Amino acid sequence: MTGPGEWEPEAAELVRPYVITKGRGLPDEAELSLITLVTAAPEGPRRPTRLSPEEQRLLDICSAGYLSVAEIAGHTRLPLGVVKILLAALTEGGYLITRPPVARAPLADREILEEVLNGLRAKFG
Amino acid sequence: MTEYIQNPVLWAVVVVLVAAIAVIVRQRKSAQALRHEIDGLRSHYSDLENHYAQSVAAAQEQAEDATKTVLKSAMRTLQGLAAEQQLVVSRLQTKYGDSTILQDLLEIDHTNSQFGRRAQSIAVLCDGWLGRHRDAASVYDVVRSAQGRIRHYRRVEILSQVDFGITSRAVEPVALALAELLDNATSYSSPDSVVEINIRTVPKGICIVVDDAGVGMNDEERARAEKLLSSERVSGVSGLGNPPQFGFAVIGVLAERFGFEVSVDSSSPYGGVRAVVLLPHDLLTAMPEQKVQAPAVSAAAVPHPAGPEPSLTAATTADGLPRRRRKRPMAIVPGSAGGAGGTGGGTAGRGSGSRSGAETAAIMGAFQRGTQSGRAAHDDRAGRTDQTSGTTGASSEGHEVS
Repeated sequence: MTGPGEWEPEAAELVRPYVITKGRGLPDEAELSLITLVTAAPEGPRRPTRLSPEEQRLLDICSAGYLSVAEIAGHTRLPLGVVKILLAALTEGGYLITRPPVARAPLADREILEEVLNGLRAKFG
Repeated sequence: MTEYIQNPVLWAVVVVLVAAIAVIVRQRKSAQALRHEIDGLRSHYSDLENHYAQSVAAAQEQAEDATKTVLKSAMRTLQGLAAEQQLVVSRLQTKYGDSTILQDLLEIDHTNSQFGRRAQSIAVLCDGWLGRHRDAASVYDVVRSAQGRIRHYRRVEILSQVDFGITSRAVEPVALALAELLDNATSYSSPDSVVEINIRTVPKGICIVVDDAGVGMNDEERARAEKLLSSERVSGVSGLGNPPQFGFAVIGVLAERFGFEVSVDSSSPYGGVRAVVLLPHDLLTAMPEQKVQAPAVSAAAVPHPAGPEPSLTAATTADGLPRRRRKRPMAIVPGSAGGAGGTGGGTAGRGSGSRSGAETAAIMGAFQRGTQSGRAAHDDRAGRTDQTSGTTGASSEGHEVS
């Protein structure tokens, strides 16, 4: 049927990403953004065998502590959105905990800074 | 007596008798000749009939071959295009991974896979090209690959896994045959029912069991399926019916050519068909290394070349690799080696990957500035009135550190 010469070196991934996500939709940006922190849920050891290898791997990656979604995606070869879908599913299943990113600290008021500076000068200067 | 002799009636009778004998003899002769002729004709006729059948068969074969050749090369083009498109779609998926376009790209990917599979099935029947080379893959991945090639893949559930791989030669045929089985299973069962796949180890190899909750097959369909799956089937694309039913014919060809067995003769506990694919030991191999890990290792190793990483990496190629690798960025965070905890390490690890040199320098500079100003304040409290001059010096020092 196919001689060895007919094989070509390049082939796309055997398992397509939509199968890995099981056709689920992308999670809400508010729910899971690039900088959302994710870690494994505390009752980690009883891990179900029904999870796909990709999900198992994500749990492995997340088991060391809080990681951002972007970083987790960097450790896999999957498209970012696919990783997000899997993380959302795992969170829903209770295997993962997500924490919204730390809110950006508001810039300190200039006046306060000046007052502090003046105070310091008054004391040490 | 003389009166008899003189009787003209007697003479007439004699004459008639002689004439009759002569006629009979002649008739016999001609009948014999005719019989000969008939025999000759008959043999001639059967000769002709044989020749006719032969030439019809030859013509049929020739036509079939011609059809096959045409279809084969046509499918080859389509398969090539589908494979090419799959690569393009894969690239786009990575490129627009964070965008909402991804959802649509996944759908395009799905449609493209089905398209590729259809072309592949026809190619198989025409002894054509099976697809590009595949590395050995785990049975689970091959099953999922098959799952992705049918329209209703969401209805397929894989209930068990085994720790076996399939040899690179058999990956594509098994995936294709299984896809055809799954296509049948999902097409002939109600749209809300689930098709279950169980993978089991048996003494002869591995069984992939596909159960659907459909209406099952009647005797005629079952007989047709069994005939197509057995070796007595007719090869080629003729006789597939209208509309053509490729499924079992394709499976039969693949199973025979690559040495696995497919049977559909039992019914599933849900009332539908139970299809069983038996993969013998020849087609099985050890669980292949996960391909995902290789690039992840190099990607993580490049930004942090310092420290004892090489030995670490080498020691943990099996499971648990990601956890180990996570420790690397933590270890290079100054002053927070072990006790910093996951959060700090995680942020630092990501930071050192994405920060530019100038940013790192600025951070280090700030750190330096802080300690230095603290020490300066302590040592020479009275002499310092202007903080900014000290800061500038520290800042440049910071650049050197980083």
